[in-house]
Amino acid sequence: MTQSLASVVPGLYAHNEQGELELTGSFCAACQRYAYPRVEHCPECLQPTERKPVGGKGSIYSYTVIRTRPPFQLPEPYAVGYVDLAASGLRVFGLFHPEVIEQLRIGMPVALEEIPLGINNDGQPCLRPVFTPAVKSDEH
Amino acid sequence: MSTEPKVFVAGIGVLPFGKHVERSVTSLAVEAGLLALRDAGVAPREIGMGFFANVLASRLFGDSTLGQNVFASLGMNRIPVVNVENACTSGSSAFHLACMAIRAGECDLVLAIGAEKMCLPQMGLLSSGNTDPDTLLGLVTPASFALRARRHMQEFGTTAQQMAQVAVKNRKHAALNPQAQFREPITLEQVLNSPLIADPLTRLQSCPIADGAAAVLLCSEKVAKRLSCRIGVRASILVSGSYDNPQDLARWETDFRCAQQVYEKAGAGAADVDLVECHDAFTIAEIMHYEALGLCAPGEGGRFVESGAAALGGTTPVNVSGGLLSRGHPVAATGLAQIAEVTLQLREQAGARQVHGAKLGLAHCMGGDRAADTKSATIVILAT
Repeated sequence: MTQSLASVVPGLYAHNEQGELELTGSFCAACQRYAYPRVEHCPECLQPTERKPVGGKGSIYSYTVIRTRPPFQLPEPYAVGYVDLAASGLRVFGLFHPEVIEQLRIGMPVALEEIPLGINNDGQPCLRPVFTPAVKSDEH
Repeated sequence: MSTEPKVFVAGIGVLPFGKHVERSVTSLAVEAGLLALRDAGVAPREIGMGFFANVLASRLFGDSTLGQNVFASLGMNRIPVVNVENACTSGSSAFHLACMAIRAGECDLVLAIGAEKMCLPQMGLLSSGNTDPDTLLGLVTPASFALRARRHMQEFGTTAQQMAQVAVKNRKHAALNPQAQFREPITLEQVLNSPLIADPLTRLQSCPIADGAAAVLLCSEKVAKRLSCRIGVRASILVSGSYDNPQDLARWETDFRCAQQVYEKAGAGAADVDLVECHDAFTIAEIMHYEALGLCAPGEGGRFVESGAAALGGTTPVNVSGGLLSRGHPVAATGLAQIAEVTLQLREQAGARQVHGAKLGLAHCMGGDRAADTKSATIVILAT
């Protein structure tokens, strides 16, 4: 099932060598600046950037549970928020896993996953990246 | 003070906001324009340029460049007309451009009209557009303010009750404004117990949609003398977001920056402001705007509204029109309606909601969402 679905935004995230999901951003070597979503040119120096993972683990900066009619056939209710990524220091917007929305707290450590969730702009079911509470390694 | 050419408000026209089911965007816009021309007592042929603000007609009706239709219907064919789309600041951006045209010496009379028709079944929640990754990940406008509210509560101890007080206050003001859409008083309990939209924000803390139109006619000093206009534009500022990452959701840098620029240009400070119309799209937004505008210290916005300082009769009345929360928010008309309200107040023509002795007023608007920042912010300072 999961294999046959496409991501809601192709190229938005990828698995790293450890098999963990990371958001894909860009990096300007001259300015030492990360960007997410990825930009082709650095807004500071206008030089081309390189594609680079910006991380998939971090902590919740803010969150909210949305209880109006959801867009893109997302679950009702669904939760979104900002996560501070440890690897790049970027504060990124994202969805939270629908099963954990009652547990969310500011500062909670989270990690990225992809799950089938809602539809895309063409009305097709698709995968979306979601943050879930990070599981400690000894619990595996 | 600056020696650049002065700009004056020659006329205003605002339609009641609400549901105008039988009327088109153009029809609403034309009536607002007509009201502004009559208010000023000028003929259409005297107008040198027109700006028309609209956001949703292309999406909802497949219409484009409606401005030329509007101005032609008002007897203003042949003149330059520009269509303006800047999200919620479309109207105030049109105003800003009209000011620039007069300051540049290009025209003596410039008309800015904003109109929106959005009370339709196909109208969903506003977002940043369906190609934005944030939109595809479920970002809707109430969420971006709920996320600010959560941080503001966490960092400054702002309470749900304080936020709800903004809605109660603005509705109390709206009872005094015959043009507001919702005028029945509401209680703190009603606001807090209305359905959650994006927690902690409830339905009564979110501005309702509306159909509506507003127009402001601006003129040069030469024409102002002829027409005996005494309300001048002390400063008009339009800025875009910084989009810096990370954004501080509890201290809105773009909001503070816009306020700092407008005070600098006007040669005035928060203490000189007699009344404010601000972009209370959600209750938390108004609280954050108090802080950005310097009406209180950063983080004190919740306690500021609680103290009554922002109510009619308080130290700096905010949204005596009822604000977006009670008037409703016909996106492209809002910015011009705020400026019209401030004009009315400075003319001492605001009736039961008059801020007595008002000499200097401020209209503040924000629009669009990008990278946890606003895309545009405008502030206009008018003075007698």
